[in-house]
Amino acid sequence: MHAIAIHGGAGAVPRASLSAQREQRFRAGLEAALDGGYAVLERGGSSLDAVATAVRILEDDPCYNAGHGAALTRDGAVELDAAIMDGKQMRAGAVASLRHVKNPVDLARHVMEKSRHVLLVGPGAEEFALEEGLTLVPNRYFRTAERLEQLQAEQRGERVSELVPATQGTVGAVARDDAGNLAAATSTGGMTNKRPGRVGDSPIIGAGTYAKNGVCAVSATGHGEYFIRAVAAHHVCAAVEYRGLALEEAVREMLHEVLPALGGDGGLIAVDHAGRIAMDFSTEGMFRGARDSNGRRDISIY
Amino acid sequence: MSRLNMPLVTALLLLAGPALAAKPPAPPPAAPPIALAIHGGAGVIDPAKMTPDKAAGYRAGLAAALDAGYAVLERGGSSLDAVSVAVRMLEDDPQFNAGRGAVLNQDGDAELDAAIMDGHGPRAGAVAAVRHVKNPVELARLVMEKSPHVLLVGEGAEEFALEQGIVLVPRGYFRTRARITQLEEDKRAAEARGGAATPQGTGTVGAVALDRSGNLAAATSTGGLSNKHRGRVGDSPLIGAGTYASNDSCAVSGTGDGEYFIRAVLAYDICALVQYKHEPLEQAVNEVLHGKLTAAGGEGGVIAVDPAGNIVMDFNSVGMFRAARDAHGRREIAMYRDR
Repeated sequence: MHAIAIHGGAGAVPRASLSAQREQRFRAGLEAALDGGYAVLERGGSSLDAVATAVRILEDDPCYNAGHGAALTRDGAVELDAAIMDGKQMRAGAVASLRHVKNPVDLARHVMEKSRHVLLVGPGAEEFALEEGLTLVPNRYFRTAERLEQLQAEQRGERVSELVPATQGTVGAVARDDAGNLAAATSTGGMTNKRPGRVGDSPIIGAGTYAKNGVCAVSATGHGEYFIRAVAAHHVCAAVEYRGLALEEAVREMLHEVLPALGGDGGLIAVDHAGRIAMDFSTEGMFRGARDSNGRRDISIY
Repeated sequence: MSRLNMPLVTALLLLAGPALAAKPPAPPPAAPPIALAIHGGAGVIDPAKMTPDKAAGYRAGLAAALDAGYAVLERGGSSLDAVSVAVRMLEDDPQFNAGRGAVLNQDGDAELDAAIMDGHGPRAGAVAAVRHVKNPVELARLVMEKSPHVLLVGEGAEEFALEQGIVLVPRGYFRTRARITQLEEDKRAAEARGGAATPQGTGTVGAVALDRSGNLAAATSTGGLSNKHRGRVGDSPLIGAGTYASNDSCAVSGTGDGEYFIRAVLAYDICALVQYKHEPLEQAVNEVLHGKLTAAGGEGGVIAVDPAGNIVMDFNSVGMFRAARDAHGRREIAMYRDR
């Protein structure tokens, strides 16, 4: 039994304002990431490799708010956060506030596998990237004309409904492999027009990303500050482990009870030890896809 | 209840006896269970190197922070103010690994992390990798109260500090002779081991409190690991890992092997056990520290307080600088398991 779920962010992209052509681009990106990650599982690869592969594909896709095409800070730069967690050994790696690392999820994995640390931030994290032999890219590699337009609109106080919403678009993946190992990964550029140095929930283990074998793997998207205060990803796993809730119910409770009580919205994808997938959101939509060895394969936005 | 007070209590009970017999007692107005616990770090505190002078210095530093924080609670102040005051004092005390006197990273700079969380809300603020902020816990509080964010890091966090009118200090402010020596020793030791450093993370500071309104709060501040990689962030500023507070469960501040605390989402896990498995605080702390953390190979300690004012201070390391004070007359300062 193997299963993977991915998301490309939750948010209020009004259905009416998403042109057929644009929707096709978003769907194509999700398909590529879903099938790329699934192929790893199908050939007996690890859930860790599967989520890393899926997230890397979404980072490289300019439609999504991670890696190339990420949202811009108020200074017009890109600042990226990512995390990955291996539920088998409860290992984790995360990076935040990167400006020059092409695939932040890869660096997060290096932090997990090649350092004694879990979280590295800013220039220190990029120094580590160089020590690990990664090639840095100029910040403009990440910037797209669409994101610049979005930033300018945001700064003028307008909304650009055609685009991924300003606060969202984070990408992530969760997977269960044939060996029963769970893994999760999340990557983001954060909020459009964000303050430099602002870090959301994505790179925080337990908030936006969490995986524990035998329980579940979770990746979140949405208004990060609320997910941090709620320790959302770990909370879902704690509800499964300590209260015996079904995964779907634990996810539902977080999104429709806990977070609204705090004032936050967003979405979650999760997979449990048996390969059951839960994908839910409290926003108008969430770019998402799921595929498993029982023949399920679906991609949806609303 | 300390033994010293027992005769007094006995005498009071004897005096009250006839009156109680005559008239069934109305329950006495419950003393508001204010409580404060602080820590100055867990880890390798080699008892052999602990001279009486050093021990007295640490105890004095802990006592000052404990009493200042407790005074806030006693005059009806908030748990948030109490933990801020206690942590700020420990940050200013060069003996502890936070603020001035924090350990130095591989470049010889102090790189500071801090978080604060208000169990009412809950709301939280945190900063990481700041190098010019005298009291990181204060900046964390400003992030909580004056920004829509929870975590700000590096230069962006310092830009926010300036916007908030905080005066930045030069990096030299944080560096002490003792930490420079420690860094040199750690670098030599790392070289001797072929570069594989196992730096020491002792000395993180933190506080948890319960105030008269029943609000819980937690705060933690640290310089992290001596000789650490620039940009390394430990558990202290991560909500749920090293710092957590919710009026529904408990307030926790951790200290120790930060990476283990992050992976375990340790502070939140304790509160989840209290809230969802209805475990007493002491049992939840015991399960997470001596069960999970020990099994994972991590070392450290936590201080925690619940809405009833129960304080738990526990560790699986040699010692933990710690102190506690509550409305029942408890006031203790300790470093090792038994003292």
